[in-house]
Amino acid sequence: MIIHHPLLGPRDASEFVYKGDASLINRPDWQADNAPELFHDYLYLRDNPAGEHQELWYHEQGDRSWLVVTRNTLTHDITNVELARDVAFAKQANKSGRVEKSGRGKK
Amino acid sequence: MPDYTLTASTPLDGYSRDFVGVSIHEVNDRAIVSIAVPKHGERELAKLLTSSYQIELPKPGILSVASRDNVVLFNMAQDQYFLVFDYTGNTATSVVRNLLGDTAYLTDQSDSYVWVRISGTNSRCLLERICPLDIHPSVFPVGSVARTVMEHLGTTIIHDAEDSFLLLSARSSAHSFLEAIETSAANTEPVN
Repeated sequence: MIIHHPLLGPRDASEFVYKGDASLINRPDWQADNAPELFHDYLYLRDNPAGEHQELWYHEQGDRSWLVVTRNTLTHDITNVELARDVAFAKQANKSGRVEKSGRGKK
Repeated sequence: MPDYTLTASTPLDGYSRDFVGVSIHEVNDRAIVSIAVPKHGERELAKLLTSSYQIELPKPGILSVASRDNVVLFNMAQDQYFLVFDYTGNTATSVVRNLLGDTAYLTDQSDSYVWVRISGTNSRCLLERICPLDIHPSVFPVGSVARTVMEHLGTTIIHDAEDSFLLLSARSSAHSFLEAIETSAANTEPVN
């Protein structure tokens, strides 16, 4: 399986480590009133889609970057790869109402 | 003061060997200083690199080179660079700090890595057996750099001249790394 790294180009999947569902980026607010419930859901509840899935991959044998990879679990087709940093910044910007300025994702 | 002095040895004790069409040499006259960029400090660092080394911050995968101390600068990770230059002393960071001051976080990596040069017309034949990347000059021309894995060992590969590649790997596994290279070199030689 080849992953098209947004900065480095096509790289073999053996250079990467799978780190789980990309929803792990959405860490709950630890000061919320219902924090225990939120963290329970964050840690234990996962979707298990037959189809498009967003997941975190770590480029351990490359530039040590974290990526958000959109992969089809039925066909293993990879349709989008973004730097997790860009995804996290875009989420922050959306939350605070600012315009997203990222867009280094590669199809 | 003790009445003895310690002399550092290189990871492969100056290894050098010629095979048919390819030579393998340990390089041991270069220092490596890791440069980590402080948050929002990239512009200031770029300015000092230009005024001191006449060198620019490189894009991922491309070497920046300058004549001063034969400096080479390349990207190792996001916000992290390796500065490589001619030096055989024990205080490489002080050399760089004199020029860059406190604009970056510096770490001496010289003794953490082994440098091996693969050169000769068969160098790509040797590397194609252990390197998962396409290193044909059409996609990996002279001046390219990439970090990947060879024989399960993290390796940075630099295409520094025609038919010449520099490999950078961890010092702790230097002999295992050399064994992989030697085996590959032997496999490229013609069978009698």
